[in-house]
Amino acid sequence: MAQEKTYIEDIERTLYDIKNVDKSKYKSQSGLTEDIIRDISARKNDPEWMLEFRLKSLEVYNQLSLPNWGPDLSELNMDEIVTYVQPDAKMTGSWDEVPEDIKDTFDRLGIPEAEQTSLAGVGAQYDSEVVYHSIQEDLVKQGVIYTDMETALHEHEEIVRDHFMKLVPPKDHKFAALHGAVWSGGSFVYVPEGVHVEIPLQSYFRLNAAGAGQFEHTLIIVEKNASLHFIEGCSAPKYNVTNLHAGCVELFVNDGARLRYSTIENWSRNMMNLNTKRAVVGKDGVIEWVSGSFGSHVSMLYPCSVLKGENAKCEFTGVTFASKGQNLDTGASVIHCAPHTSANISTRTISKAGGKATYRSAVKVTKNAPYAKCSVNCESLMLDDISRSDTLPTMDIEGDEADIGHEATIGRISDEAIFYLMSRGISEDEARSMIVRGFVEPIAKELPLEYAVEMNNLVNIELEGTMG
Amino acid sequence: MNKEIFSEIPMRTWNWLGVNEATVDKDLLVESQKLDIDIEADHHEKMVVEYRKESYGIVNISIGENASLKLTQLQLMPEERNHANEVNIVLEKKARLQLVAVETGAKSFASKVNIILKGDKSQADVSVLYFGDGDRSLDMNYVLDFQGRKTVGNLEVYGGLMGESQKIFRGTLDFKQGSKQAKGYEKENVVVLSKGVRNRSVPIMLSGEDDVVGNHAVSSGKINEDKLHYLMSRGLSPAEARKLVLEAAFNPVLELIEDEVLRQEIDSYIKERLENE
Repeated sequence: MAQEKTYIEDIERTLYDIKNVDKSKYKSQSGLTEDIIRDISARKNDPEWMLEFRLKSLEVYNQLSLPNWGPDLSELNMDEIVTYVQPDAKMTGSWDEVPEDIKDTFDRLGIPEAEQTSLAGVGAQYDSEVVYHSIQEDLVKQGVIYTDMETALHEHEEIVRDHFMKLVPPKDHKFAALHGAVWSGGSFVYVPEGVHVEIPLQSYFRLNAAGAGQFEHTLIIVEKNASLHFIEGCSAPKYNVTNLHAGCVELFVNDGARLRYSTIENWSRNMMNLNTKRAVVGKDGVIEWVSGSFGSHVSMLYPCSVLKGENAKCEFTGVTFASKGQNLDTGASVIHCAPHTSANISTRTISKAGGKATYRSAVKVTKNAPYAKCSVNCESLMLDDISRSDTLPTMDIEGDEADIGHEATIGRISDEAIFYLMSRGISEDEARSMIVRGFVEPIAKELPLEYAVEMNNLVNIELEGTMG
Repeated sequence: MNKEIFSEIPMRTWNWLGVNEATVDKDLLVESQKLDIDIEADHHEKMVVEYRKESYGIVNISIGENASLKLTQLQLMPEERNHANEVNIVLEKKARLQLVAVETGAKSFASKVNIILKGDKSQADVSVLYFGDGDRSLDMNYVLDFQGRKTVGNLEVYGGLMGESQKIFRGTLDFKQGSKQAKGYEKENVVVLSKGVRNRSVPIMLSGEDDVVGNHAVSSGKINEDKLHYLMSRGLSPAEARKLVLEAAFNPVLELIEDEVLRQEIDSYIKERLENE
């Protein structure tokens, strides 16, 4: 008798798939030309150096090839992508001033409610521009800056100029160059020395327009001995045309500082998510990444931590769930550049219904990093035999004082574990449910509450038949 | 210098890591020593292949149903020579392979090993020992391709690196769709003895089948200080203590070499290099 498989539902997407009528105020022409870049720059009132930066990035973009590794990106046709969509809304600090349809979108996503209950500041981007930004007054008094990138570019121009795309230079790869050319929106956070932002800040990025790209830039500077928890969320309704997300996140964690960067990525299944995230960490500093990848058609996302100062630390916790039609290529990289740096990478991947989940990582220990320690753990769960799960880690270690360990496992739900739980009086359905919940629990416990609830939707298990 | 791609990993990764492919001098591949061997069904064989002067060697083997082979491959090239070798093995139903590979010679070498577990219940146990010193370059690419049901593949690798040697070890467990109830295990333990070493490991696991169990683990570090202190407290010099610890680390592979003379030769070779360090 054929064995039936455990069936795990996809994430309930109705909430994310509600489309608004496209009421954009302005859309650039599709494609990527110098005229389009100049037009975007003029509309955003960029300083001259930023226009030059954009144009140089375009040159780099045209010189670079698509990566010869990772998922197939041939479906992406830049000639069909609209790189700038200006919503018919001005940036405001009051939800009452946000147009009704846009406000309704963020209401459904629970952003204003979360702002009231559990956040110290919120940024909301709709298509290419930020439409809402707020921060608690007491943080402003302590010198914390949390605003959209365009405002930061004008009001804190020197800081932005000193940091913008310094960690992720346009030459890094083709989509970093694309980002440098057409970036729009995103958040800027500055936490002064010694200030601890006790309640998280959250930026939410919503792409509504069909066939458009979103290229937000997030720049966070946490000064010495300061701390911050920043949450990033993103979603889009599904269209029959390809959408593109090529954001860039640059995090500067100075000596003794701590930054937790949490992301739940839930893009629609027509999205190419080619995002770049990188952090540099100073002496005794800590970067913590919590990363959930659930949406998109294709993802390439590998947050990188450069441990530059002595005793700098990185913690990476990630979960990826690839279902039908999805090719999610995710992972992390860590570069140890100083003595006594340490990193701990822990990931879980699940694949089902023909989905492809790839875990890719790199651990690089330079000669300047004696006594570096790094532990990598990757576990993959496959729920059927039409899906794929691949693990591709690389370790590159120089010197004789590093202590590096890597472990990975792959498999399905163990029959023995099911039998054991059933022998303790637990039903088969519940046993399976417990096992899958246990599998993602190390990640779920690191998530903010509202996202942990979303994670629980992930493990909403339905069982059909016997042991799978 | 004319270079040619000699081997590639089954799935590419970031180019900046420099591990996607191994290149060798074209001249190296001109003359080869080639062995084509069929082990007939129900036959059981042992073979030793030694490379002492050949620049390029290829071994192609098919192992028939219920047959078995123990293949010991020793690369003991002079330290001024470059070398490449290739092993391709296909296992039929219930065939068994034990491969013992020792890579201790040559100034620069590349090896690629491709084992296809084609038949149901076939099994491959692969044990590798490598040792690098001076400015030597070591490049290895092992692939265990699980195709049959209930196949088993184990890849255990023990390495020692010193001087300014550079090594890349790529080990892939590739579970193809249909390889139900296959089990694969890969382990690489590297002992690093000098600051100038560059040590790259790429343990890959690919799966298109859910009903499999795959595990891999890599550890890289210096010699355990506690072990050294213990041995030195028993009267051994630091150099002697290091030798002893490394010998113990390599023992799981060395003890699989049945020929006492060959085993002693490898053992002496490594000891000599340790003493010269």
